[in-house]
Amino acid sequence: MNAPMFNSTTLAENKSVSWPLLQSVISFDGVNKTFSMPDGGNVKVIEDITLDIKHEEFVSIVGPSGCGKSTMFNIIAGLLEPSAGTITLRGHDPKRGARIGYMLQRDLLFPWRTIIDNVCLGLEVQGMPKTQRYEIARDYLARYGLADFAKQYPNTLSGGMRQRVALIRTLITEPDLILLDEPFSALDYQTRLVLEEEIVSILKEAHKTVVLITHDIGEAIAMSDRVAVMTQRPTSVKKIYDVGLSRKLGSCLKARSDARYQTFFDSIWNDLDIQISGGES
Amino acid sequence: MSEAQLHTHIIRAGSVKENNESLAGNTLLTDNLWRGAGLALVIMLWQVGVNLGWINSFLMGSPVGIAGEAWRLIQSGQLLDDTVATVSATVMGFLLGSILGSVAGLMLWFSRTTARIIDPFMVALNGLPKIALAPMIIIWFGSGMFSKVMLAFVATFVVALLTAYQGTHQIDRNLINLMRSLGASRREIFSKVVAPATLPWIISAFRLNIGFALIAEIGGEFISSDRGLGRMIFVSGNLFNLNAVWVGVIMLMIVAIVLYVIVSQVAKRLLPWEKEPK
Repeated sequence: MNAPMFNSTTLAENKSVSWPLLQSVISFDGVNKTFSMPDGGNVKVIEDITLDIKHEEFVSIVGPSGCGKSTMFNIIAGLLEPSAGTITLRGHDPKRGARIGYMLQRDLLFPWRTIIDNVCLGLEVQGMPKTQRYEIARDYLARYGLADFAKQYPNTLSGGMRQRVALIRTLITEPDLILLDEPFSALDYQTRLVLEEEIVSILKEAHKTVVLITHDIGEAIAMSDRVAVMTQRPTSVKKIYDVGLSRKLGSCLKARSDARYQTFFDSIWNDLDIQISGGES
Repeated sequence: MSEAQLHTHIIRAGSVKENNESLAGNTLLTDNLWRGAGLALVIMLWQVGVNLGWINSFLMGSPVGIAGEAWRLIQSGQLLDDTVATVSATVMGFLLGSILGSVAGLMLWFSRTTARIIDPFMVALNGLPKIALAPMIIIWFGSGMFSKVMLAFVATFVVALLTAYQGTHQIDRNLINLMRSLGASRREIFSKVVAPATLPWIISAFRLNIGFALIAEIGGEFISSDRGLGRMIFVSGNLFNLNAVWVGVIMLMIVAIVLYVIVSQVAKRLLPWEKEPK
């Protein structure tokens, strides 16, 4: 694909420059979430999360299955309110329509819209006129090598390309925070590795702050500056690892083959405390 | 994904499609040959049976008799008149019922309460064979065209309404959340997600409704009517003119197929994203 995507030198150089910028983008302060059940009982899903994510940081949240990751996602995305505690996004409450862009396992492209109209969705909702938003979208599509597909419908694209379109749709509204929820789990392994690399470099280039929610330990280590390991439900932050391999080495693939990768992996695996025989819930 | 990978992907997709097309072309041709041969054989055996006295042409009609009757009805212009009457009433009732029903079903998305309250009534109406309403509708609206339009309307409205409403329930929650996260209003969510996502459902209701509208129309004509293919079949049957009955039945088949093909073609235009991947 085109040059900027694998431009690992800029990535590597970045490490000495302005990172970490200490401005906080999103912070959790004693966030709790309890759901009341139809039978009158309460289920506590999140227990006291306190976490501060800085500008341009890439933080992964890794937890055992069913630990409440998707509840965290919904709270960050502003789709759910915490039961207690506060969450602030650039100092504000992340209400609906806050400047958060997200990307899920499923690309959620609208099948009835062409690629360019999918990419434009956010700008269209903001009320930008068509010629203007098309101009911006064409620019983005060209930058990420998708210009030829502007007029096609999503079902003509491969899974990896569709995910890239979904990422562009997320980026085009220039959100303060990008939230990724298992964005690669529907893709085959090779595509996943390529896309990991690509997305990290796109997001770094765009100076985005990223939260990645995943159960894939390897993916978290390969991509992140920090990895927050969560406990079983009710979940809280068990441990935070300062990884930063991809930033130091300039590539996720290099991060995966680095000696420290395995050390992190083993350590996080032990933290997750997954019982093989008992099965994960 | 690299450029090379992209290209192989596209080339692969393209060649697969070409293979499918040539395969489909060949099988279509041989299938049609077999169909034509089978039909010709049945017609021939039928006629031979009649000529040899094995088949009672008074009760069954005969191919030669049907052809003669068809020619007579075409020349007198009666077949055309009846066909036009049936088709126009069917199409009007069908369009009215399907469009208004779909719009009503979509609108129910805005109010879950209304939907919940009317739900059992809709289900009951849907279960009712609409032709049971024909005597009443004919009493109210007379035996002319208008009562047939109303019958086809009633037969198609509830189907379209229920299908569209069910369609709005199948929409991926995540698409709506995505719109919410972008700050979209309810009206925008409706026009940009709910309506287009429900369109395939609406189209499938239209496909079904063509058949339902024809059933209602013919049933209505059987009961009381001054024109139409249904009336022609009914009257000819009472007169034991089986050849004319066959002409009416065959004409109805042609009408049904033509209407179905038109609806399918329009559907293809309306759902361009459901085309085969290029």
